[in-house]
Amino acid sequence: MAYHFDFTFVPDYAGMLAQGVAYTLGLTVVGGTLGILIGIGGAVSRTWNVRPFGPLYGYYVELFRNTPFLVQLFLIFFGLPSLGIKLAEWQAAILAMVLNLGAYSTEIIRAGLQATPRGQVEAADSLAFTRWQVFLHVMLRPALRKVWPALSSQVVITMLGSSVCSQISAEELTFVANFIQSRNFRAFETYFLTTAMYFGLALLVRQAMHAIGRHLIVRRPSR
Amino acid sequence: MPLVSTNRLHKFFGTNHVLRGIKLDVEEGEVVTIVGRSGSGKSTLLRTLNGLESIDDGVIEVDGATLEVDRADASALRNLRQKVGMVFQQFNLFPHLSAGQNVMLAPQVVKRTPKKEAEEIARRMLERVGLAEKFDAFPDQLSGGQQQRVAIARALAMSPRVLLCDEITSALDPELVNEVLGVVRQLAGEGMTLIMVTHEMRFAREVSDKLVFMHEGKIHESGHPQAMFAKPATAEFASFIGSLN
Repeated sequence: MAYHFDFTFVPDYAGMLAQGVAYTLGLTVVGGTLGILIGIGGAVSRTWNVRPFGPLYGYYVELFRNTPFLVQLFLIFFGLPSLGIKLAEWQAAILAMVLNLGAYSTEIIRAGLQATPRGQVEAADSLAFTRWQVFLHVMLRPALRKVWPALSSQVVITMLGSSVCSQISAEELTFVANFIQSRNFRAFETYFLTTAMYFGLALLVRQAMHAIGRHLIVRRPSR
Repeated sequence: MPLVSTNRLHKFFGTNHVLRGIKLDVEEGEVVTIVGRSGSGKSTLLRTLNGLESIDDGVIEVDGATLEVDRADASALRNLRQKVGMVFQQFNLFPHLSAGQNVMLAPQVVKRTPKKEAEEIARRMLERVGLAEKFDAFPDQLSGGQQQRVAIARALAMSPRVLLCDEITSALDPELVNEVLGVVRQLAGEGMTLIMVTHEMRFAREVSDKLVFMHEGKIHESGHPQAMFAKPATAEFASFIGSLN
């Protein structure tokens, strides 16, 4: 028997869907920005083993890369209140995403820093740069440039992973989809549409990362 | 009083005793060339002079900045490096910056020179090495010879008292060697104190005030290049120049 697609429900929920998309994008922008900043800090600390941050970052990275995102989210949302830290669902969602992306981007950016040719660091050393100046002016931009594609992918993965935040009732796109299909029982259509929307979002995030990356890469006049 | 002076300089790589008590004095305005076989310690000696290689014993003094074994902390190193410029075999330009920015960066970052002033310095230095028109070019748009000249300009922008040149023409195509040597010759003519390691013997003979022949981690023979080439004092130096032809 042929299945009859029925998308007539869409206009009724257009507003909700738009809100879900905005929520997901918000999580991604905030989580991505803070996550990458944490990653830069982690990469520096681990590369030079800055005490006490280097070793601490080491534990943090291993912990968050070797446990499921959902469990991390539950630990933050359901676990932390036991310590008196009570977070709203959106706060927990952002915190989990930041910590998760921070751990992965620490290792990605560290790889970029380690790929700095020794000669460039020596050149900066010989010009009397401090270690921090070498990092900031000589290593960081070329390192980010090298790993930007990998970092972009990780941001997209984190964005897709944010669907898990529906489990703590953060009202992002998957939460909205669950809500809609529980009302209209058109599971196939609802999740088909959601799939398409996530796909579109992923392309959008990738494009945005690409555009940001272009600013890291110096544009030069043609010869 | 010499501008650069080292005494009892020792350096080990593991159990390998690469510098065995180097005493070297360089007067202001002097051009000193260090030669020797591969593994004789000549590059290591040069690299100790601005702290790129640590030393295991002895003392280095450049224009009042002192580096000793047990007093080689970060600020002592930076103090020394402000007086000692260095140019490398592989140029080591910063790939994400234009030629002009490469030259501007150290004055801006290390000496806190305002941007406008740093740019003026950079333009002047690039002009000095004959690359005034390449201010906005990026390293990968320049030939090896041009990159090396930018690297020289970058070192000069910090107004070092002495410039170290570590085999700066060894990575260049033969036809590009002369443009770099030309710049070095010009600097020598302007009275810049230079210490270089090079395989360009003819050039060394022509511009150097002093030739230093290193052998097995020691200064085996040194003196005026013309005299040394005309009449080597040691069998090792005689054999070294014999092997060049």
